[in-house]
Amino acid sequence: MSRIETIISELSSISNNPRKAMEDYKKETGKGSVGVMPYYAPEEIIHAAGFLPVGIWGGQKSISKARAYLPPFACSIMQSVMEMQLEGVYDDLEAVLFPVPCDTLKCLSQKWKGTSPVIVFTHPQNRKLEAANKFLAEEYRLVREKLEKILSVQISDEALNNSIEIYNENRQVMREFTDIAANYPNIIDPIKRHAIIKARFFMEKSKHTALVKELNSALKSLPVEAFTGKKVVLTGIMAEPNEVLDILKDNGFGVVADDLAQESRLFRNDVPSGTDPLYRLAKWWQEFDGCSLATDAKKSRGPMLMDMVKASKADAVVVCMMKFCDPEEFDYPIYYRQFEEAGIKSLFIEIDLETTSFEQTKTRVQSFSEML
Amino acid sequence: MFTMGIDIGSSSSKVVILEDGVKIIAGEVIQIGTGSTGPKRVLDEALSKAGLKLQDMAKIIATGYGRSSVEEAHKQISEISCQAKGVFFLVPSVKLIIDIGGQDVKAIKLDSKGGVKQFFMNDKCAAGTGRFLDVMSRVLEVNLDEMAEYDARATEPATVSSTCTVFAESEVISQLSNGVAKENIIAGVHQSVASKACGLAYRCGVEEDIVMCGGVAKDLGVVRAISKELKKPVIVAPNPQITAALGAAIFAFEEVMAAVIFAFEEVRGANK
Ligand code: SF4
Repeated sequence: MSRIETIISELSSISNNPRKAMEDYKKETGKGSVGVMPYYAPEEIIHAAGFLPVGIWGGQKSISKARAYLPPFACSIMQSVMEMQLEGVYDDLEAVLFPVPCDTLKCLSQKWKGTSPVIVFTHPQNRKLEAANKFLAEEYRLVREKLEKILSVQISDEALNNSIEIYNENRQVMREFTDIAANYPNIIDPIKRHAIIKARFFMEKSKHTALVKELNSALKSLPVEAFTGKKVVLTGIMAEPNEVLDILKDNGFGVVADDLAQESRLFRNDVPSGTDPLYRLAKWWQEFDGCSLATDAKKSRGPMLMDMVKASKADAVVVCMMKFCDPEEFDYPIYYRQFEEAGIKSLFIEIDLETTSFEQTKTRVQSFSEML
Repeated sequence: MFTMGIDIGSSSSKVVILEDGVKIIAGEVIQIGTGSTGPKRVLDEALSKAGLKLQDMAKIIATGYGRSSVEEAHKQISEISCQAKGVFFLVPSVKLIIDIGGQDVKAIKLDSKGGVKQFFMNDKCAAGTGRFLDVMSRVLEVNLDEMAEYDARATEPATVSSTCTVFAESEVISQLSNGVAKENIIAGVHQSVASKACGLAYRCGVEEDIVMCGGVAKDLGVVRAISKELKKPVIVAPNPQITAALGAAIFAFEEVMAAVIFAFEEVRGANK
């Protein structure tokens, strides 16, 4: 097995088995894990405490128990998170960080059914004001205090600044990875690309950085191969389950860039420099644009996506619409019109973590590939 | 030369045999779809009607929900591409297709050469599909082919939900028990189907000519409701259930011709 294959298989097995990653971390460090709900929580604070931040992104599941707590039109990802909470999946976590940038999360944060303590905090939506930075830094100060208490640790500014640097390095290496991977869609197919990125949620970040860095240089040393398929940019919350990515692959699509909340949105900006770590983390939110969860009066998501299409020489955009996600549904007509005006082709597919039948997705993807 | 298009849907199976890419010599429909005996039976029927054997087909292309289970086919093409091909062949002025089948609703936008520019499909819910009409026809005890007549007599269409078949069914039952006339309920059912399909059409962008196909296009009550909602005339494709199979047969013909031309060019190149 080549080094490239070994790294990919290591990262894929971590992304497919977060529980084992948590157990390994505990064995190695004696410390546990802290859950991180979507979206945009300051994971660095957990890292600085020496604990493992673990992303909570639900999973492919049939929903039954969650029906007692959520309306049928709650988004698919939170249906699955609720189902897993009720099954006790998250009970090994020392705590859960819970940002609430959408209505569903706001409501869900008030009915957590797991046994781990939950730390809820708010992202301000009047983001471009200086007051927003101050407010969010204060929220993060409370998050830090609560974490210190629950985990019985002290989290110094120095440790936090150090963790921010570790995260920034990971962000930069991930940006590099997505750029390099775009040149090798035959090797980094949609499923592998996703697994390499997803492994970030279950690994100590500097370890993830080291592996991806090595992967990047191994890939770069290979000649760029011709790709006969079509190149696409993915946008949305996430592109799961793997069956969806399999369908893209089977129909000859390669993913050359993404704007997924689970993937590139997390690492397209660094945390800005400065001395006060909490203020730096808060400032990240102010500078972050092009996401349905961060109020954006300029509506820059469409132009950002179009720039991505241009830069990555993509043939089209695939909209991975999380079933019943209102923030994403509200954004769609705006950027769709911009695509139409600019002549950018797009495909709309529905992301439903409960489904086991993918015939509709197959038809849509096959038709789209015939259309391009 | 004969080519064949096979369209296996969720609730019907269709076959078209085409001669030289232009002449339909068989176009058969059986009202049961994938996973049933329908595909085999409709294939046999079409062949016997045309007086041909399977071996006489230069190429066979399958489409529709059950396209990957057709062993006789040389290739599969999605029903969206096939629908566009078939409808454009019949109505070359078409710009927007509304296709309502057994479990799918689709709006397909075409360019002036008949190529697919954009399309939208319903989500997984059966509301607004042929299945929805089946359920309603059972509850109302009115045959599917009589529903348009009832609709034409409606005086005050009832309101029927377009979000959920199960919910709409109980709504219709309660309207029946409240003594609302079947005519008015059926007009409401048709409006409900139309609102689902028109939602997709609006996403695509509405442009004339608008052509309706799929099994539900035979219900003129739905066609009228769609036309009313879009405030534009709607053309029903001739024999609207077989248009995707026709498109598949045309694709098959074009592929055979392209292969012939390619081989010819190769020979010519070699002889130069
Ligand atoms: S952003 Fe959308 S998908 Fe995410 S929790 Fe909110 S509603 Fe659900």
